[in-house]
Amino acid sequence: MNGKIVRNEQISAGHFLLRVKLAESFKTPMPGQFVMMRDPGRIDPLLGRPFGVYGFERSQEEVTVEILYKVVGKGTLLLSKLREGDFVVVLGPYGRAFDTHPEAGKVVFICGGIGVAPITYLAEHYRSLTAARDAELICYYGASKAENLVGIKELKRICGRVITSTDDGSHGFQGLITERFSADISLYDTGSSKIYACGPRSMLKELSELMAGSSVFCQILMEERMACGVGACLGCTVLLKDGGGRGERARVCVDGPVFDIGDIHWG
Amino acid sequence: MKNAGPEMQVDIGGLIIKNPVLTASGTFGYGSEYVPYLDITRLGAIIAKGVSLEPRAGNKPPRIMETPCGMLNAIGLENPGVHVFIKEKLPFLRQFSVPVIANVFGETIDDFKRVTELLSESKGVDGLEINISCPNVKKGGTIFGSDPDMALAVTREVKRLTDLPVIIKLTPNVTDICLIAETVEEGGADAVSLINTLTGMSVDIERRIPHLANVTGGLSGPAVKPIALRMVWQVAKRVKIPVIGIGGIMNASDALEFLIVGARAVQIGTANFINPSATTDIIDGIEDYLKRHNIDDINDLIGTFDEEGKAC
Repeated sequence: MNGKIVRNEQISAGHFLLRVKLAESFKTPMPGQFVMMRDPGRIDPLLGRPFGVYGFERSQEEVTVEILYKVVGKGTLLLSKLREGDFVVVLGPYGRAFDTHPEAGKVVFICGGIGVAPITYLAEHYRSLTAARDAELICYYGASKAENLVGIKELKRICGRVITSTDDGSHGFQGLITERFSADISLYDTGSSKIYACGPRSMLKELSELMAGSSVFCQILMEERMACGVGACLGCTVLLKDGGGRGERARVCVDGPVFDIGDIHWG
Repeated sequence: MKNAGPEMQVDIGGLIIKNPVLTASGTFGYGSEYVPYLDITRLGAIIAKGVSLEPRAGNKPPRIMETPCGMLNAIGLENPGVHVFIKEKLPFLRQFSVPVIANVFGETIDDFKRVTELLSESKGVDGLEINISCPNVKKGGTIFGSDPDMALAVTREVKRLTDLPVIIKLTPNVTDICLIAETVEEGGADAVSLINTLTGMSVDIERRIPHLANVTGGLSGPAVKPIALRMVWQVAKRVKIPVIGIGGIMNASDALEFLIVGARAVQIGTANFINPSATTDIIDGIEDYLKRHNIDDINDLIGTFDEEGKAC
């Protein structure tokens, strides 16, 4: 469906916050689901771009979706040039959502770079899910440098603790966020801990090594180039380990983008 | 009133379909993927994703890459094999009372024969589309569809084994597509569909590596439409069997261009990816066009291209 841009603003170098007004019939996305977005006036770029949902509001007056994105190529560059009042096609919500656990004790979020976007939406969901009791929400957030820790204020509002890392040491721990997390990993070695992660493939792969052999619940959100977003084109498949239960390959768009970390074969 | 609109029914080599809009193989899965997004009972026919004798895992990722006004794909014909197709995918497709055309490919002539037999015996499909754009492993990997003798042999063998209408899907990666079209007509094909994707590639200049793990891939989308249209026009003049046009059709105007130059029907491929209801939007658009031009029967439009006409 067509959505109308109500906000598309640069919030830090190369990072934008987009807010799109949608028709009432648009389904409320579950955390981890994504939308495919494209400029209806163009056939170049041709394909929609998948974006994890960052925020969603449904009120009596309107329905809006929020996307936090980083300019990485032609599609996102052109998206960043659209203005308030312009239209975008928004399809979705698509994909498998995160499994959530209202009874969780410690909920740990690990995000790298723009992976913060869908993690924030999940964290917000957890905050309301566990509002009645004091579940601990802890977020590990890594980026290349301090200014790329976008949306950190919002995360701090939602999570009890936000632990950061940067490649250059300009904010928090100097190094990878997985290194910082590994120092604390024993704190979460309990059945009531739930771990969620989204970030670059290298980060998720390292996390899978840290979690190897652990029985702690850990789900990740993966990113791939997509064409259709609905499972038809088979363009976004990833390899599964034996016993993943869904065949040798899985489609990130419909079998994912959320996977149990132990199911992925990293190759 | 059922007959309030123009007649949209066409005959594609013995298979009568209620309108000329089909889904292109590989872009519509096995139907179930798109059920939530459009009324699939409105389609002229569904051409399912290609099946081979044995399951195939397909290529390593990355499998797709966007290019200007198009995309490259190198999926590698991933599919669960003809047995799973018949057992698990066909029953789902059958429930919509829309003709189902299975798309068949193989690496040897025997593969084509066996899959044809199994599908014909299954009684679950209304037609076969034979993808001859794949390499013949027994002939050093030459593409079936680029060698007239091999294209003829596949067509004859398949026709010998089935009573179903047989559509041969042609590759554009040949010197003279008309020659191949004439050859498969001689072999008994009931229709030809064209074009399959154009082989292309794309390079990541920072890392000096291919964007696709398979290095080359098939180009589709609006970028290929003028070439596809030219080939359909040429082939439609050379063969008597119906021609089904494929290649970068994004909307009704695109589809109408193909019909006017002689395509009896069209297949919609890449457009499904960016607009899940592209096919039904195109059916509506063709109907509107016929009404606007006071054409009662779509067959009165097909092949009416006036190539001597002056755009004054």
